[in-house]
Amino acid sequence: MSKSFIPSRSLLSSFSRSLKLNHDKPTQQCLRFRSSINASCLHAPKSKSFSTTSVRSYKTVEEQRSRYKSGPFSARAGLLFLTSGAGLIFYFRYEKARMERLRIAEATKGVGRPKVGGPFDLVDQNGRRFTDEDMKGRYTLVYFGFSHCPDICPEELDKMAVMIDLVNGEGRTEDAEKEREGDGKKGEKKGLLPLFITCDPARDTPAVLKEYLKEFHSGIVGLTGTWEQVKDVCKKYRVYFSTPEGVKKGEDYLVDHSIYFYLMDPEGDFVEAIGRQHSPQQAAKIISEHVGDWRGK
Amino acid sequence: MGLFSSSAPSLPPPKISSDGAPIAPDRTQRAKCWEGRDGYFECLNKNKIIDSIGQKDKAEKECASEGKAFEANCASSWVTYFKKRRVMEYQKFQTMEKLRAEGAQEMPGEVGPGGPGQKP
Repeated sequence: MSKSFIPSRSLLSSFSRSLKLNHDKPTQQCLRFRSSINASCLHAPKSKSFSTTSVRSYKTVEEQRSRYKSGPFSARAGLLFLTSGAGLIFYFRYEKARMERLRIAEATKGVGRPKVGGPFDLVDQNGRRFTDEDMKGRYTLVYFGFSHCPDICPEELDKMAVMIDLVNGEGRTEDAEKEREGDGKKGEKKGLLPLFITCDPARDTPAVLKEYLKEFHSGIVGLTGTWEQVKDVCKKYRVYFSTPEGVKKGEDYLVDHSIYFYLMDPEGDFVEAIGRQHSPQQAAKIISEHVGDWRGK
Repeated sequence: MGLFSSSAPSLPPPKISSDGAPIAPDRTQRAKCWEGRDGYFECLNKNKIIDSIGQKDKAEKECASEGKAFEANCASSWVTYFKKRRVMEYQKFQTMEKLRAEGAQEMPGEVGPGGPGQKP
């Protein structure tokens, strides 16, 4: 401020107030002082507004020029684009096959669809209690049948034995039985657990199942129970159950039942049904792929 | 034939398991039963009998010895089941032939006996 300028009292007070306000109304103030303070006031707010609005700052002119020539693309960006593109293509191809299997698994899990499987409480061929909790932690292959079955069950059980060995590798399923006997922790259970659930509890006692199943595969766990328990598990697995209640001992009869293998995931949810049209090799492939997809949830 | 089980030879009583229930036929017994069945069905084929229950008299006359061997090795419920299944298989074959003649295209996979709710 020039010395020649002698402000009046009112002007001084208004000026100090405006200083306290910290440039809240700089233009207004400039206007007021324009006549006396001239250029200095005009420039101050302007330069300030420039510094806040300027976005791009280049260190050198060369940098600015090269950026101007190539635009936002550079060799590095191009390379990154191509490699990530190629990577994505491979990834999508792999994922597509996996998602297809997942879709099958999820479709059967989905809301509103009839659920296959559920809690049950049965007894295995050694007379020990076996519930749906015992099948959790690994994939299970569930088959319904009965030991006095003329031709289809034995054929299917032979197929099941081949499937078990193909999926688990020969001799590995025996460990499943040992695990159950011993103190095998749940997390350590691996491989496919084959279950045979009888539809004919009146004749298929644990001892009968033990004799019957050992001819097919030592790893198959045979389950039986009371008529009500078996009827209940058949209902949950949507198995047609026709066994008459209260049959006499030694009576000769047959039982109608569905003949699908049910693949259940480690949470006990239904994944896929394997029918008679699948060869053991095809079935083992389907099972192994689903098992490979499992990452735990 | 199955009705005259008193005169016809039948399966020896099954072994009883440790908890008192009869043990199911084992692998060799099943094989024997299937052998008996195949022999009997071969005789029925020769005599052009499809339904051995419907044409009981003719079947009994033509295939008496084969029938006896069949029943001697199989439980009577199995005998009835195989006889009925033979008729069903024949009908299925006929239907398939008819469809094929009409130019129907076969779908992959097995239907019919492989479907759900099927008698084992």
